[in-house]
Amino acid sequence: MQQTDGKTSSSLAAWKWACIAILIYVFVAGWIVPLNPGIIQVSPSKAVAGTQVNLKVEGYNSAYKSAGGEIRAWLRLSGDTVLQATQVEVIDDRNLNATFYIPSVFPLRQDAYPLALVIDHDQEGTSVLPNSIFITPASTPDSAEMHLWTTNKIAHVHKKAGIQFPFRNILAETIRNTYFHVPMWFTMIILFGVSAWYSLRYYRQGDLTDDSRSIAYVRVGLLFGLLGIVTGMLWAKNTWNAYWSWDVKQNMSAIALLIYAALMVMRSSVEDDMQKARLTAGYNMFAFVLLIPLLFIVPRMTDSLHPGNGGNPAFGGEDLDNTMRMVFYPAVIGFILLGLWISQLVFRFEQVKRHA
Amino acid sequence: MKLDKSSHIYGLIQSAMRLRTLLSAFIVFWLGTLSAQGYTSPDYMRSIGKIYVVAGVCLIILVTLLTYMVILDRKISRLEKRQKNE
Repeated sequence: MQQTDGKTSSSLAAWKWACIAILIYVFVAGWIVPLNPGIIQVSPSKAVAGTQVNLKVEGYNSAYKSAGGEIRAWLRLSGDTVLQATQVEVIDDRNLNATFYIPSVFPLRQDAYPLALVIDHDQEGTSVLPNSIFITPASTPDSAEMHLWTTNKIAHVHKKAGIQFPFRNILAETIRNTYFHVPMWFTMIILFGVSAWYSLRYYRQGDLTDDSRSIAYVRVGLLFGLLGIVTGMLWAKNTWNAYWSWDVKQNMSAIALLIYAALMVMRSSVEDDMQKARLTAGYNMFAFVLLIPLLFIVPRMTDSLHPGNGGNPAFGGEDLDNTMRMVFYPAVIGFILLGLWISQLVFRFEQVKRHA
Repeated sequence: MKLDKSSHIYGLIQSAMRLRTLLSAFIVFWLGTLSAQGYTSPDYMRSIGKIYVVAGVCLIILVTLLTYMVILDRKISRLEKRQKNE
């Protein structure tokens, strides 16, 4: 604990300045870096095989017209098997029409064929909309049309110059929540971990200072966990159409928070300081161990709507590319430092109060 | 001129807003924003690639953390005042 005497101004520790600088960087970079161009929607969404389809494509952040140059479009069946557009007509920056002739036969047999739309522009780069159109099979397949499906058409794709965050279908701009919502949970886990560490120290050494330290970290950890839930609910309302949809990730994090809320309730119901501290320390270590299955194991074992889920969500895949890492890692560090800072203030306040 | 604490703006804020008022005002504001988002057309929140959701998330984080700091600050001020009186 820092000792400051009276009126002399004490300087702020370097890591606190670092916390401020990092968070300013995160808020600026997280907001001003644009998204890659993407495809918002396509109509019609259904067609029958063996007919000509005129797809109206609505782009996002795109500059189909003003960027000029050549635009190519494909419908992708699976892997490299694609169908090239017979004609692409640009209407304006955000809209274009792509005409396809859907062959009446398919190289693989399914009840319906979801096709992904791929658009490549020589300056704007490539954008993809998965499941953009569903094709129902033709009543009279003509095997002569099989040659229309090709496996080598998507070549020489382009990448937009400059720094952009990836455009992800459904997420769109809310991919930026990776820098604000996700670090809340990282901070919560770190704070609960530090708290469990001080509980362990209290168990071994019986110093009441360690008890007030551990409880300060739990308090601020709860605050960050609550922020994680509430920011997640706001996003869920506008993405899943409900604040709470009983998704496994929502449920498990709510349970985790309730366990820690119960710790605070239990603590306030015990009169004796030593007994309070002992109970808290035991419960707290137990609660931290419980966090691991609740937040890391159970959500991975079932399906979840949450982005990054399905398989192993840790830092993987297309949800977190290298551009995003340049903001995401500082965001995690910055919010963790902020959490530690606030906890330290709470602890120092409790110490002063105890000795007042 | 001697600074009268009760007329000073900080004193006014302190006397007018007790902790409970501050908390309840915050909760009312909170529920207000949440329900407002439910009643206003979701098209607004979902326009421009749902950028307003990101704005809302940032706002929630900032408002909550700042409120927490304000409450902590007030607790410390009260403690300091008590220590001065002793």
